[in-house]
Amino acid sequence: MNTLKDKISEINSEYRQRIGDASDAEELDTLYLSLFSKKHGVVTALMKELAGLDTEGKREVGPMINDLQSRLKDELEEKRRDLQDHMMQDPLIDLTYPEKPAVWGMLHPTTQLIREMNTFFRYYGFSVVEGPEIETEEFNFRKLNLPEGHPATDLQDTLYIADDILLTTHTSSIEARLLTQQKPPIRVAFPGKCYRNETVNSTNAAFFHQYQGFAVDKGITMEHLKGVLEAFHKYLFGDDVILRYRYKYYPEVSPGLGIDLKCQFCHGKGCQVCRQRGWIEVLGSGMIHYNILKNCGIDPEIYTGFAWGMGLDRLVMQRYGIDDIRKLYGGIVYK
Amino acid sequence: MRIPLEWLKEYVDVKGPVAEVAESFTLLGLMLDKPVYEYKEGRYSWPILDLEHRMDRSDWLSILGCARDYAAFEGLSFKMPPVHAEPGLAPKQEQIVDIKVECPDVVKRFNTKVFRNIKVVESPDWLKNRLKAYGIPAINNIVDITNYVMVEYGQPMHAQDLAKMEAQEIVIRRAKEGEEVTTLLGETVKLTPEQFVLTQAGKATVIGGIVGGNTTGVDKNTKDIVLDAGNYDQNNIRRSSRSLKILNETVLRYDKYLHPELAQHAMERAVYLILELAGGDYYENVDWYPQPVARGKISLRMSRLEKVGGVKIENNRITEILTALEYRIIKEDGGVFELEIPYFRTDIEVEDDVAADILRINNYNAIPLRLMNMAPPKEITPEIYTFEEKLKDLLASGGLHEHITDPILPYEEGNTMQVRLENALTADKSALRTNMRSTLWPVLKNYEKHKLTDINIFEVGKTYEVNGAKNKYTSYKEIRRLQVLHKNTTSTPYENTEHTKKILASLLQGLGIEDHRLEKTDGTTDIFIHDEKAGSLEVYGFMLLTEILLKHAKPAQRVVSDLPQYSTQNLSLIMDVQKPFGPVFEEIKNFDDNIVEVEVEEEYTGKELAEDKKAVLVKIAYKTNQTEKFRAKLLKHLKSKFKLEHRD
Repeated sequence: MNTLKDKISEINSEYRQRIGDASDAEELDTLYLSLFSKKHGVVTALMKELAGLDTEGKREVGPMINDLQSRLKDELEEKRRDLQDHMMQDPLIDLTYPEKPAVWGMLHPTTQLIREMNTFFRYYGFSVVEGPEIETEEFNFRKLNLPEGHPATDLQDTLYIADDILLTTHTSSIEARLLTQQKPPIRVAFPGKCYRNETVNSTNAAFFHQYQGFAVDKGITMEHLKGVLEAFHKYLFGDDVILRYRYKYYPEVSPGLGIDLKCQFCHGKGCQVCRQRGWIEVLGSGMIHYNILKNCGIDPEIYTGFAWGMGLDRLVMQRYGIDDIRKLYGGIVYK
Repeated sequence: MRIPLEWLKEYVDVKGPVAEVAESFTLLGLMLDKPVYEYKEGRYSWPILDLEHRMDRSDWLSILGCARDYAAFEGLSFKMPPVHAEPGLAPKQEQIVDIKVECPDVVKRFNTKVFRNIKVVESPDWLKNRLKAYGIPAINNIVDITNYVMVEYGQPMHAQDLAKMEAQEIVIRRAKEGEEVTTLLGETVKLTPEQFVLTQAGKATVIGGIVGGNTTGVDKNTKDIVLDAGNYDQNNIRRSSRSLKILNETVLRYDKYLHPELAQHAMERAVYLILELAGGDYYENVDWYPQPVARGKISLRMSRLEKVGGVKIENNRITEILTALEYRIIKEDGGVFELEIPYFRTDIEVEDDVAADILRINNYNAIPLRLMNMAPPKEITPEIYTFEEKLKDLLASGGLHEHITDPILPYEEGNTMQVRLENALTADKSALRTNMRSTLWPVLKNYEKHKLTDINIFEVGKTYEVNGAKNKYTSYKEIRRLQVLHKNTTSTPYENTEHTKKILASLLQGLGIEDHRLEKTDGTTDIFIHDEKAGSLEVYGFMLLTEILLKHAKPAQRVVSDLPQYSTQNLSLIMDVQKPFGPVFEEIKNFDDNIVEVEVEEEYTGKELAEDKKAVLVKIAYKTNQTEKFRAKLLKHLKSKFKLEHRD
């Protein structure tokens, strides 16, 4: 038994030495075999010798062999990694050689802009919701103060599926649904897909994105509308933006409010980006129409609210230098 | 609305440079749409403001309407042009041009006057140039006056040569199916009973409210005319003009709601101009107006104004604005203004519209900014929204690019599930997608065109289905899906499949979904999650229903803080090349609770094996140390259940 213990200690010191001295992976393979090969391995031989011991001997020496085995295996593994690290220091490695990027996934530009906007509105206590894209005339028009034949339907050449079923022409239909379903106070933002029966060209597509939202509570006034949306413009375009507030009619609101951003390219002089206007219209807004609140079962004498809406695609195209809306939804690739 | 600055100056003393005028118009609601441009003709050089018209305000399609608001905004006085309000000569009975209206549902008023012995000549310079500056060509004094008053007041007018009229009467009736009218522009238009016409001896001469005909027009030989100012149902004009595809200055005004009273005021102005510029005798004629429409009334509470606008506006300022906008204050008592709405303000519907008038004329810039200080309401973002965001993040972190594609595509004949568009403009955009692969695959092809070889893309979106009656809203379904496409153009289909599956496995792992299986049925390979069909797999990608993913997703347990305590062993199984391995894999996984993980290390065919055999090397991790015992039990079970061999 003692000879066996001696052997263990001998093998331990000898092989640790040899593993430490090994200079390549091949040498480690040889050492592994001479230790653990089924036929000739010295540790395997120890196992066989162990079988000859009595129970007490087995109980004492067995764990020692196991311990030796795992320690040497660890040593071998560690040395292997050391050798690999060493290879990294190969003089042929030239770190100044120009690098190439690995491909990392990218979110769609519109998704990125939506998330950026969501972040702002979530900070101000808004939830983000969605609605159906297949809608009824009831929610897309009627509840939104757009009776049949209303001149505003001029702007909304609608894609119909059946008599009063259509593809939503604006995300406002979500407003009608939420006002009907939720009890105030409500604060929501809703990015969404919209469809119109447009002759398709580089700036108009039948398929596009809008971002709308509203807040309904006791005591909301146009001061809050201006306050929140000014903060939004600063968040999106920088603190030095110059804004212009003007009356603008939308059937879903009264009073309506248009907000323009002084063109950051030409500083108001007029250029291609602002279509020579000097100002860029980012969104339309206003106080939710008295009749809409009433139609949706909310008492407009108790609650007031503001709503805003904007197209996303033009902003996205400007940011990413895309000149054709059709490319944005099917014609772009990421490198 | 185009406004020649020179014309505007007739009603209001315009202050400051044209850029400032444009800015004021913009703030009050008439945004400068295009840069100010010049009308140049002889000695005239007039700036023209092209202002965006927003549909609700019919009076903003008149120079007077725009001038009135501008004067109110700038605090300037506003002057109406001269009119001739006195009645004309009483006609003899036989001289009356009778007016018969057979369709009173669409005609609300038809106001007519008769002029005899007029001189039809060229209009004076000022009138010709104002019209031309606006964008209407000058013809002769009578035609020009009707156009001038239309632009000035917003009321379309129309003059006919009495001598060319076959009968001394105008009958207004619905058009007959297929009835034809040749317009002023010489175009022949076919009508339907949707439209109504002005007729002469049974023949249609004018398409009511839309365009005049070429038979009774005024020319240089005309001596006697009948002049009309009509008021019609704007919805009829809107529909008719759109279906006839006729859009002109007349339609532009008639398809808005004009108050019938306007026909009176515009007529008085036209009478004045005709007597000034064409002379002759002016006779009364029929003013067909069976149901006069009264001006509306509305109250404005100061408390409501403050509730909407936030800002407090003084009483006398409110009075000043209301007066400038021509509201008549009937009574003002206890903070409530009782008002008569000016006839030309057909847009005023609710009290808040009057509040809007006060706030905008007072300038929106006077409203201070404020952030909301109420407690934020309950968070109601749906779980699926947040989940799909996470899904996108996971895939992007795995190197896949997100795309959004247009779901409108061609209709597939015979696909009864497909949602079809009723009024699509083109056949290639006439229905909605029933799977996302069809719109995402062209994107993959586009990557190939860009010579990109390793393509990994996805879309999170919807597909659309109809099931049942097409006119029932509940027949329509929107299905939320994830579509992933992978293709490495330098790899074999086998390698592509392996990679596609790797994306699937990583995604499910990231979502904490452990229990899933793949099952082949009739040519498609379905993905089951907890025995629920959740999607399908193919060589170049897979589809998953995101609602089902959400149902089974858990926080992924991928953080390991201890070294593994499991014992592992490898198992080399030999089976028929044709047989799917999926079921065997499922069997091993579910064999015993002691098995904690099963992984396929390698799959191969080759010379060591018979031609119709493949070997699959499986790595199994056990909780127990008694691996040998388990191995024997497992092998016995597998051999009895499947036709397979084991190799040491």
